[in-house]
Amino acid sequence: MKNQLVHMKGTKDGLVLRLDDQCAYQDLVEELERKVSEGGIDGRVNVSLDLGYRYLLEQQKQELINIIEHPGKMVVSKVLSNVITVDENNAKMQGNLCDTYVGIVRSGQVIQAPGDIIVIGDVNPNGKIEAGGNIFVMGKLKGIAHAGIGGDREAIVAASWFEPTHVYIADVIEVMSNEKPIVKEHAEQLFAYINKEGNISYDRLQEARKIRPLLNTKGGS
Amino acid sequence: MTGCRKPEKYGHYSTLKEVANVGEAIVITSGKGGVGKTTTAANLGTALALQGKKVCLVDTDIGLRNLDLVLGLDNRIIYDLVDVVEGRCKIHQALVKDKRVDDKLYLLPAAQTTDKNAVTPEQMKELINELKREFEYVLIDCPAGIEQGYRNAIAGADSAIVVTTPEISAVRDADRVIGLLEKEEINPPKLIINRVRKDLINQGDAMNINEITTHLSIDLLGIIVDNEDVIASSNKGEPIVMDPNNKASLGYRNIARRILGESVPLMTLEEEHKGVFKKLMSIFSR
Ligand SMILES: Nc1ncnc2c1ncn2[C@@H]1O[C@H](COP(=O)(O)OP(=O)(O)O)[C@@H](O)[C@H]1O
Ligand SMILES: [Mg+2]
Repeated sequence: MKNQLVHMKGTKDGLVLRLDDQCAYQDLVEELERKVSEGGIDGRVNVSLDLGYRYLLEQQKQELINIIEHPGKMVVSKVLSNVITVDENNAKMQGNLCDTYVGIVRSGQVIQAPGDIIVIGDVNPNGKIEAGGNIFVMGKLKGIAHAGIGGDREAIVAASWFEPTHVYIADVIEVMSNEKPIVKEHAEQLFAYINKEGNISYDRLQEARKIRPLLNTKGGS
Repeated sequence: MTGCRKPEKYGHYSTLKEVANVGEAIVITSGKGGVGKTTTAANLGTALALQGKKVCLVDTDIGLRNLDLVLGLDNRIIYDLVDVVEGRCKIHQALVKDKRVDDKLYLLPAAQTTDKNAVTPEQMKELINELKREFEYVLIDCPAGIEQGYRNAIAGADSAIVVTTPEISAVRDADRVIGLLEKEEINPPKLIINRVRKDLINQGDAMNINEITTHLSIDLLGIIVDNEDVIASSNKGEPIVMDPNNKASLGYRNIARRILGESVPLMTLEEEHKGVFKKLMSIFSR
């Protein structure tokens, strides 16, 4: 008997459609069209589409979703896949990297990192750090810091001595000439983040865990 | 990166020097103009010559030469650096001897009229290497800025001295230049803080020595007080370092000794105000 190419399984969150990942794509499309047209579904159901180890182009993925959603009974709420391309993987890894720069970032110098960066040294005025993720300066931050440069509004800029001239997080810019009282009074151990109103705020490093719980990747009691 | 905790010596090049039996070329630079590069070159050159070293000063400020004036050698110039590079004369014909320090101090003057792009970094390197064969120290006076003139000046250098004054703008430019120098294959740059005025520092109107050195975090080679006799002596064409009793002169002499590898404590300001400025003292006795 021919193997079933489309498995349907009901769960309390809706249907899971598991697609065979070994057969030809065209066969899969035909089988899926047949299964979907059989009907037998009342109302609208949420569907999770599980692609297994098959790699699909974006337009193929869309084609399958269209087939499933066409009769108007099912809505694909999630697409699961066990595979990503090398490029996607590299991009992900880079974003998760934490670079370390040891030295002084001097006037006119720009240090860039795809993910987080730790600077062991000072960032002098007119020196600049640009990171896709967070920026942590172990010395004095007296220059310019741009965290979340690709648009990550969760990113923070933290420094042992927080005295930057400019702080950027994602697309939000803060010029420090109109110094905030908290920065003026305690330049030590501060960090900058985008608050709920969408503006850059500052707080003590101790508050980082509360304000950005996801920063923490280590347990501990 | 350069730390601050190395011994107060400049002679880390000496091993190489002994092996190859050539001199050391030191470029004197700053980024900002008017902070005292030319004054420093003239005085350190003279001080090293007074210590018995054979020294050649090279003025690379093409189009704006004035090292010859500060040394009082301007009316003896026949050929200049560009003449040498372009083969119109031999190096020896262009060198001007300073008769005050018997046979020890020479100047290779800059061209006054030529366009400053007349010389390339490769040509400069060749020239400096040739001078290093004959002189123990080749001091290169760098023009202001970080363009072609600067690149020419650093091309042949083994080490660099960065001159700043206690002003924020000068310190900023020094920081920029240090960043550029750290990318070159030369020894970590060392710092001279020029035109230090204790009254301004005490009033908080100028950055203090500690602030400047921690900000720039390179080794401090010495400080030179602000002293009007420096200007007068430059105008006379006689470097202040010839006057053994002047405070700025003492600063230059101490720096020359540090370059020669002696460890001379930094105490120029402290001496003048014993016990009064405890804070300053603690900085200088670090
Ligand atoms: N320690 C000092 N005290 C007083 N005047 C100084 C001192 N050092 C330099 N000057 C003066 O500052 C001016 C600029 O110095 P100069 O050496 O020509 O700078 P640069 O070569 O960096 O442009 C000159 O008039 C010089 O006499
Ligand atoms: Mg000059």
